[in-house]
Amino acid sequence: MVREVAESCVDTMLMEMVAMYSGRFYANKPELAARRIEAIGYQVGHQLSERYTMERPRFSDHLEAIKFICKDFWSEVFKKQIDNLKTNHRGTFVLQDNKFRWLSRVSVEPSPEKETEDPSTPGESKAAQAVSMYLYFPCGIIRGVLSNLGIPCAVSADISSLPTCSFVIRVKA
Amino acid sequence: MAPVGPRSGDAIFSSIDRVNAELFTLTYGAIVRQLLTDLEEVEEVNKQLDQMGYNIGIRLIDEFLAKSGVSRCVDFKETAEMIAKVGFKMFLGVTASVSSWDADGTCCSIILEDNPLVDFVELPDTCQGLYYCNVLSGVIRGALEMVSMKTEVTWTRDVLRGDDAYELQVKLLKQVAEEYPYKDDE
Amino acid sequence: MQFFGGSEISPSPPVPTASGNNAHMMYVFNRNGICLLYKEWNRPLHTLNPQQDHKLMFGLLFSLKSLTAKMDPVNADKGNLGVPQLPGQGCSFHSFRTNTYKLSFMETPSGIKIILVTHPKTGDLRESLKYIYSLYVEYVVKNPIYSPGSPIKSELFNTALDQYVRSIS
Repeated sequence: MVREVAESCVDTMLMEMVAMYSGRFYANKPELAARRIEAIGYQVGHQLSERYTMERPRFSDHLEAIKFICKDFWSEVFKKQIDNLKTNHRGTFVLQDNKFRWLSRVSVEPSPEKETEDPSTPGESKAAQAVSMYLYFPCGIIRGVLSNLGIPCAVSADISSLPTCSFVIRVKA
Repeated sequence: MAPVGPRSGDAIFSSIDRVNAELFTLTYGAIVRQLLTDLEEVEEVNKQLDQMGYNIGIRLIDEFLAKSGVSRCVDFKETAEMIAKVGFKMFLGVTASVSSWDADGTCCSIILEDNPLVDFVELPDTCQGLYYCNVLSGVIRGALEMVSMKTEVTWTRDVLRGDDAYELQVKLLKQVAEEYPYKDDE
Repeated sequence: MQFFGGSEISPSPPVPTASGNNAHMMYVFNRNGICLLYKEWNRPLHTLNPQQDHKLMFGLLFSLKSLTAKMDPVNADKGNLGVPQLPGQGCSFHSFRTNTYKLSFMETPSGIKIILVTHPKTGDLRESLKYIYSLYVEYVVKNPIYSPGSPIKSELFNTALDQYVRSIS
């Protein structure tokens, strides 16, 4: 039987890991905090991929490996698959999760009805920054998985409307 | 309507959202490794893990209370039992036991035989002095502080350091009463 | 501590709103007396500024809790009047009713206080308040960008709360 823990254990650990790096260690150096958070994700992705690919044949091409992330890997970690995969066939892949688990409870101020005078309130941009900090972790995970499969790449995340999240993978030629 | 007693840890764990423990264990391991790289001083790593745990405890306490239906935590003895029987079970899926009470009931040990944090962990010799599971002591300290109990939580046994179990000593320092938070002339 | 200074109390009970919503307003305080959330559905009368209003509500509960425990005829576990209690200690009141409104109150051992003020004919809301606490856990405590102790700014929580409170009869 697969061992399980409460989802909150992982969720709160991630929250506080991000808070530690972006709030306490590198409060004024967000790019350094981002790099550390990504590095932690990378290690996790690397190790998870080791475990999940132990008994499968090598992937024949990049698309096969990306499909593995979309289906098997995402199901193991998030109990659902990636909803939409796009590629330009030149090494860029966009993986869209319409209800990304780690963003499902992220919420900010109710859409203002009266207070529209100042659309870019400091609170809002701070929240957006906090969310993007958070996303370095899953980006690192994806990069770790692919790197373990022999595919060097860069991964970034894009949120247009919560809780939808797109991960953009650019394979390094 | 009779008040419903606290739900059992098993019942809560089976109804709660759960995830693969590997993700949890590996993520924690990666955090510890990164901290060891970034901080160099093992003592400082212990401190940060404890702080991280404390902040986690502050958040988890409300989920614990909401899901367990525990409506009061005044008696320290009862509270320690709750942590061991319900808390560990509902979050980590393992049970812990409480023992070694001192005479005035303010100090006890919580013993964990099974600990998902350490699956696949082996500490290299360079990590002398590291309390790998320090996040757990922080969680307990943070959660108890939210229910008015100031405690000191220390590791007395650690399998990663060659002992036969994980044992935390929880010592109640004081119970903090609620205070009226405003000044009258404000 | 000033209790009723300057306030005018409406003599006629408020009429439930057209939507069938019985709620007037709601407060959530944390253990440090910080008002994490104030929300109102139907409150035609405002006599104080928000800070005074929150402080008055918190003070009312604080005193009432200590008074009710002091008057307890059966339970020995009571503090002295004016001596602070631990959350969850002593007996605890859960509602009171006036001719114009009903106030329902819940306090968790972690010191979170949820107060819902409704039409005086509203029934027992203890289970409803527990449900609201579980919404707080799901949408506030688990929101990664919420820092504990700060005012609640969450659209998800607000929507879920509003929907639920409007359904209470």
